[in-house]
Amino acid sequence: MAELILKRTLATLPMLLILSLFAFFLMRAVPGDPVDVLVGSAQRDLAPQELREIKGEFGLDQPLPKQYLSWVLGAFGGNNLGRSYKDGQPVAQVIAEKIPNTIFLVGVALVLTFVIGILWGIAMSLFAAKKSMQAIASFLSCLAIFFYSTPSFWLALLALFCVAEWFPGFPVLSLHAPAEPQKNTFVYVLLPALILALRRAAKVGLFLKASLDEEWSKPYVTQAFSKGLSRQEVLFRHVLKNSLLPVVSLIGLSLPWLFGGSVLIETIFAWPGMGRLSVEAAFGRNYPLLMALVMIYGVCVAAANLLSDLLITICDPRIKETNTSTSSHAI
Amino acid sequence: MPWQNTSFNIRQKVQAKEPRIRLGLDTLLGLIILLILLGMATMAPSWAPFASAHSPVAINLDSANLPIGSLDHLLGTDYLGRDILSRALWGARASLFVGIVAATLAVTIGSLWGSIGALCGGIIDATMMRIVDGLLSIPAIILLLVFQSLLVPQALASRLPEPLLNLMQVHSYSQGLLPFVTVIIVISATSWLEAARLAHAQVLSIKQQEYVEAAYALGLSRAQLLLAHVLPNCAFILVIEACLLVSDAVLAEAGLSFLGLGLGPAIPSWGGMLAASEPSLIQGNWWAAMIPGLLITACVLAVNLIGRGYLGLTRSRHHQVVGQPGL
Repeated sequence: MAELILKRTLATLPMLLILSLFAFFLMRAVPGDPVDVLVGSAQRDLAPQELREIKGEFGLDQPLPKQYLSWVLGAFGGNNLGRSYKDGQPVAQVIAEKIPNTIFLVGVALVLTFVIGILWGIAMSLFAAKKSMQAIASFLSCLAIFFYSTPSFWLALLALFCVAEWFPGFPVLSLHAPAEPQKNTFVYVLLPALILALRRAAKVGLFLKASLDEEWSKPYVTQAFSKGLSRQEVLFRHVLKNSLLPVVSLIGLSLPWLFGGSVLIETIFAWPGMGRLSVEAAFGRNYPLLMALVMIYGVCVAAANLLSDLLITICDPRIKETNTSTSSHAI
Repeated sequence: MPWQNTSFNIRQKVQAKEPRIRLGLDTLLGLIILLILLGMATMAPSWAPFASAHSPVAINLDSANLPIGSLDHLLGTDYLGRDILSRALWGARASLFVGIVAATLAVTIGSLWGSIGALCGGIIDATMMRIVDGLLSIPAIILLLVFQSLLVPQALASRLPEPLLNLMQVHSYSQGLLPFVTVIIVISATSWLEAARLAHAQVLSIKQQEYVEAAYALGLSRAQLLLAHVLPNCAFILVIEACLLVSDAVLAEAGLSFLGLGLGPAIPSWGGMLAASEPSLIQGNWWAAMIPGLLITACVLAVNLIGRGYLGLTRSRHHQVVGQPGL
């Protein structure tokens, strides 16, 4: 297991290197340094000496390779990722404030995704087996396909509207009011996390249903029935365990997806996380901040892929022998 | 040329083995929805020309927030009194145009990148695919934000040569087609990665086939091999990939416009309508948000329904998990 972790971690290093090169040189290639962002068109009125001072303050007067090296080394060493163009604050500090909020939101959404998704999948499969319940099963399937096709920011808008209309007391926006001490954060996270999770839960449900359907046709199921087990018993004792195996691989693979989804959800719900920060950074062309965010998202996704590999290996010992670096992309 | 002849025969054989279009009820439904949406896009200029009472951009505060079914405005108006039906029609035009062009571009770039890598092999292939992996490891929406912040239309307009600007109808008072160009570039720059991966996997498996070996033995260069034999044989799957990418691109455009980074307020699009529906919602006008959202859903749903028949057969849609914009 330790060997596997080491191998997979090493395999992500070239990927992260390419990512850092991409992030750095793309953002440097484009016009738009702090002079542009801070003073805008007024830079014509500034003395060349002043322009040089501003650039020097952000380290932009050094040759490019040197800038890149100091950026990468700073990221590894003293968590120094440069300074934000907007207000000159250290980027690492700006992001560190937001990371816990995003992880909290995404974590709750991940749990909701799989609780709802697995129940959804089982319900679809169980109802589909009974003649009288088939209408419900197809309704659930249609609902899943519908939610799978819906943009989550639209659902978020409608949900905000409905909650504000029908449950005026329910706190929907932001983590907490500025004056109020931080408490009951769970209540605040519930609605954004639910909206974030729904689309993914529909995917998990459809995926589990397909996996269950495949499993039902296998010979061991016939054997279990012939032992005299009821449908429920066969499902929970035998079929479900085997069908959940492919779903496990979805856990790690859902994380990057949820991180991406959180960008819009955080913007709508005024959630002070990394996603909203990236939107602000993109609007303000705050490149040091964007570069750092790209790297952090890259690391998160690499970690999620590693996690998903480990989970599958733990759950399915058969994979251990054949585990290759490509397994993270196979579902 | 003898090889042309063989390739023709072999291609026919290979195609015969490929899955046929499964014209189930769901595929049919998807096709019908898609045709309706395309019809909406084509009839926009005749139903709601810019210089009429139904103009999609005319602001009229006297008729703000009219409900669905009003006499002059069938689908009501938003908080600025703009006709929702004509905005939806023009929005279909903008969103589908961006979606289709961006998806086509993305599949073209991606399949060339992936197949060139797979054919060359070795260190070139490894580098090319690591670049794809690296970019795929960022959530697509973040990549969209990065590219969009790099391609600001105003800054771009001051740098492009004059004839190009005239071609895109950019004037001092309007940005013309420039927002379309930047949004299409941004979206295709993000979504070609998935196509590259798919093409790479396809070409790797086709490369093993005997007829490719035979063609190579006949003395074809790599470029001829690629264009005459390999690409035609993955064309079927790449076309389906392009279809599925259209829905991703429509979602991406909607997300960008919703954030205010897309086509901008001057061009009606579904995402822009959703972004503008926030003030409408506050005034209790839910239909201004409901209609564009339903249209986006319908578009994605239609493509998914058409593609669903193939998903199990032709691709594991694995990259969707990583690559699809998290909208």
